[in-house]
Amino acid sequence: MSNAVKSTVSAAVMASAVAAAIAGVNLGTINDAHAAKEKCFGVSLAGQNDCAAGPGTTCQGTSTIDYQGNAWKYVEAGSCETMSVGDNKAGSLTALTRDVPA
Amino acid sequence: MLVRFNAMADNSYETKAFAAGMLNPAAPKPDEIIGPNGKAADKRYNVYRNNVTVSLINAVADIYPAVQKIVGEEYFRAMAREYVRAHPPKSPLLFLYGQNFGDFIDRFEPAKTLPYLGDIARIERAWLTAYHAADLAPLDPARLGMVDPQRLADISFTPHPASYIINSDFPVHDIFLMNRGFMELAKVDMSNPQALMLTRPQTDTRLILLSVGEHVFMDAILKGKTLGDASALATETDISFDLNHNLQMLLASGATIQINLDGQAI
Repeated sequence: MSNAVKSTVSAAVMASAVAAAIAGVNLGTINDAHAAKEKCFGVSLAGQNDCAAGPGTTCQGTSTIDYQGNAWKYVEAGSCETMSVGDNKAGSLTALTRDVPA
Repeated sequence: MLVRFNAMADNSYETKAFAAGMLNPAAPKPDEIIGPNGKAADKRYNVYRNNVTVSLINAVADIYPAVQKIVGEEYFRAMAREYVRAHPPKSPLLFLYGQNFGDFIDRFEPAKTLPYLGDIARIERAWLTAYHAADLAPLDPARLGMVDPQRLADISFTPHPASYIINSDFPVHDIFLMNRGFMELAKVDMSNPQALMLTRPQTDTRLILLSVGEHVFMDAILKGKTLGDASALATETDISFDLNHNLQMLLASGATIQINLDGQAI
């Protein structure tokens, strides 16, 4: 059975398919989810911070004030620190001390 | 009938007495429980029992938003209440809860008119499980290029812990995406079966729609079959099976982490 199965795809066919696949695969597609987003602190509206960790965790949608400094949201990579939210406030790649609930 | 919180690590007599009946509204307050200064505690126990039930229903709602969107909140909460009472948590970690909700829905008589609903629940549970799976780097495609071409048929792959395949008789890929707000609502053809793969190579869970051949191939690969056997199985099922295309998907999806040959990682 296994011999009959294996004979249906020859070693030569497999070798050329592997070579073509490695040459053709877009490496960026593996990393895009990571590369295209960055965690941005201090730009999210109250209750709109990101996190999809499910029940029993306490992150998603828990920020209580707009642009809360220690709450983050995924944004397009490279755009975080250019994001202005008014009053000379901008996004940050690290947690901020401004606008933190008492 | 008493329902036990069998997940409780604390197996003391007091804990068991308190937990017994926690999810059974007909069960009386255990005699061991009394209020301050020996006062009656029936109302307090009922408040606590209600809070436990409601918070578990909320947890099920958080895990299964697409199921809730499909059946509506009132229907969903009634169904979740039945589920919570029949299947109390086995772990104190709430994000692990609801593992068999899909199977429960399959057997839930009022949901028989929605035969795809159990599969939608299985996708939602797998989505969250994939989210919490270990962060492991996906297989580097260059490693496949280092395999001796004569031995390619004999290699197998170690699945990434966040990889899941779900095969359905219904168009559950589209139904799921529409009810999670990832796809415009549109008419779906219920006679169109769909299989899909979930992966999480980086931070976000991904969902990949699989053709018949892709499903057979990836299912065999994730079950540890050799590349030769997986390719042959897929070719037998789907005469248009394209090995080059499927290998690209295997590599780009991040569904595997390692190549094995003769029982060893290479």
